[in-house]
Amino acid sequence: MTEILNNLAFGFSHALTLQNLMFCAIGCSVGTLVGLLPGLGPLATISLLLPLTFSIPTTGALIMLAGIYYGAQYGDSVSAITMKIPHASSIVACIDGYQMTLKGQTGLALFTAGVSSFIGGTVAIVVLAALAPALGEVALLFGPADYTALMLFGFVCVSFVTTGSLLDGLAMCMVGVLLGQIGTDVNSGMQRYTMGFAPIYEGISLVSVALGCFGIAEITKNLDNREERTPFNGTIKLWPTWPQFKRIIPSALRGSAVGSFLGILPGGGPVIAQFAAYAIDRKVSKYRHEIGSGAIEGVAGQAAADEAAARTSFIPLMSIGIPENAVMALMMGAFIIKGIQPGPNMIASHPDLFWGLVASMWIGNVFLLVLNVPMVRYLLSIFKIPYAVLFPAILFFCCVGTYSVNNAVDDIFITAAFGLLGYIFLRLSLDPAPLMLGFILGPMLEENFRRSLLLSRGSFSIFVTRPIAGTLLAMIGLFVAWQMFAFVRDVRKARAGKTALPAEPAPIGAAPAVAEE
Amino acid sequence: MNDKNLLKGLFLVLIALVFGIGAYRYYPIGRMERAGPGFFPLMVSSFLFVLGLSMAIRSRFMERKPIPFSVKNIVIILASLVGFALLSEFVNMIAGIVFLVFGSAIAGTSYSIRRNAAVSAVLVGIAFAFKYGLGLQLPLY
Repeated sequence: MTEILNNLAFGFSHALTLQNLMFCAIGCSVGTLVGLLPGLGPLATISLLLPLTFSIPTTGALIMLAGIYYGAQYGDSVSAITMKIPHASSIVACIDGYQMTLKGQTGLALFTAGVSSFIGGTVAIVVLAALAPALGEVALLFGPADYTALMLFGFVCVSFVTTGSLLDGLAMCMVGVLLGQIGTDVNSGMQRYTMGFAPIYEGISLVSVALGCFGIAEITKNLDNREERTPFNGTIKLWPTWPQFKRIIPSALRGSAVGSFLGILPGGGPVIAQFAAYAIDRKVSKYRHEIGSGAIEGVAGQAAADEAAARTSFIPLMSIGIPENAVMALMMGAFIIKGIQPGPNMIASHPDLFWGLVASMWIGNVFLLVLNVPMVRYLLSIFKIPYAVLFPAILFFCCVGTYSVNNAVDDIFITAAFGLLGYIFLRLSLDPAPLMLGFILGPMLEENFRRSLLLSRGSFSIFVTRPIAGTLLAMIGLFVAWQMFAFVRDVRKARAGKTALPAEPAPIGAAPAVAEE
Repeated sequence: MNDKNLLKGLFLVLIALVFGIGAYRYYPIGRMERAGPGFFPLMVSSFLFVLGLSMAIRSRFMERKPIPFSVKNIVIILASLVGFALLSEFVNMIAGIVFLVFGSAIAGTSYSIRRNAAVSAVLVGIAFAFKYGLGLQLPLY
């Protein structure tokens, strides 16, 4: 315990420099602002702002990126509460949050979300500080075969959780892995799929893929929809009464626990944590009869879980080196651009970075609470800007962002190409988030796969006989078998009933359907 | 033919074929214990092929959904991006910004030259701030 406190104190000494405080504050506020914009969830926001961090020293850059991430997460929930604009990451906030807006309690909902986020974040940081170093030691037991299995397990979990359809998600992961193959093969030095086009010899830039698939494709989809959003015009009365405030706490604590736990699991993260926390509140809360029609608990629990999971999802990334969802994959890409390889060795070799980042997360939480929550009414005025002004500006930021990675105009063509690809995927209802994960993990997957075969002299038995790899693959096998069984059963049922039911799995899968709109 | 689920599968099969045939024809596969550069992409694209194919087959058991597809907006957006890149390369980035704003705005619900001029001016200002404030190497002029 004292060790954790010592480490945290060490982290704070790094995070509390004036410079890093500033980066944290900038990250949080810019993240919130961009996260508010229609159609830009955390993935798009981070990729859009990623290039801004290139010229900043490493610790500051990562602190700022983390700030952008949870800022975007908070911005998302604000637009969900005030205008019922669901991004992929804050669908649950739309339910009770927007109901509260309809009742004229917008301020209360925003305050609840802010305070609960703070509670969730604080709990999660304690979990993070305690668990990440311990898990890092476990990760040292992992061999290449185990890493391969773990990545595959991550693909399966992410596919199922984010898209609701195992088949679609896995396919997108594989597309991502294939795209990650483009460039020079590290083992043989051979160029693969570059077709003599020099800018991609080093591989396709992460920023191009992210901005193409999440920025340009999303903008075009919004333009296709041709909906003009009505800006929020209500009044915001931020401060709750004491009885109202008391209702926030238990629910937020429950949400923090659920979120911290679900954030660590592969494929976990904010979205699933929100759903789980909301479901639990609906079961056990003292005010459960009110949830669904705008209850404080309906906002508090999910906001705390959201924030807690957003933080604890850093644990697998920083201790094992495997991102568990698309946002973390993007973070990992950013770490690597900065010359840091996340993994078991990161905490030991860059303690200042790791603990500084952990400490800055809490500082970021404070900033969200004291800066963004009171400022929300001003931030919301960004919605008064018509989309016709906004989208050329976003396109411009996409271009500048792409350009500044290598100072090369050619990269903009690649981004445009990925815009087209991303648009096709969106129109085919294929979620590009698993693609991102596959793209980042692809080279690592290949490396570990080839290394395991080298170790086993070409025998696949290494994936079964090693206990960790074997267990993970067995879990994948069970899961796939269950999915196939479920599909056949659904088809049979649909045929028997002659009612054309779409054969998509139900509860969690409902999430992306909302995000698609 | 305009069935989202079927086309989804076929599109993925196409991607798998492009990468798979590429790997098979141009890169050495190697042996299991010493995989060549073509081994892994061939394996992954074979898996993707199977996935895509099973999606196409699955679509026959599901209700057909047409794809809402409009070519206009994506073409406008991509054209203005490409125009921005070309102008930045051969003229300068200010011209690129103006082109980007005036070009992409065609995809919006309303078109106003005055508004576009204002947006361009602000963006050029931001570009200058990036260049001299953040130190990005933008070829502005």
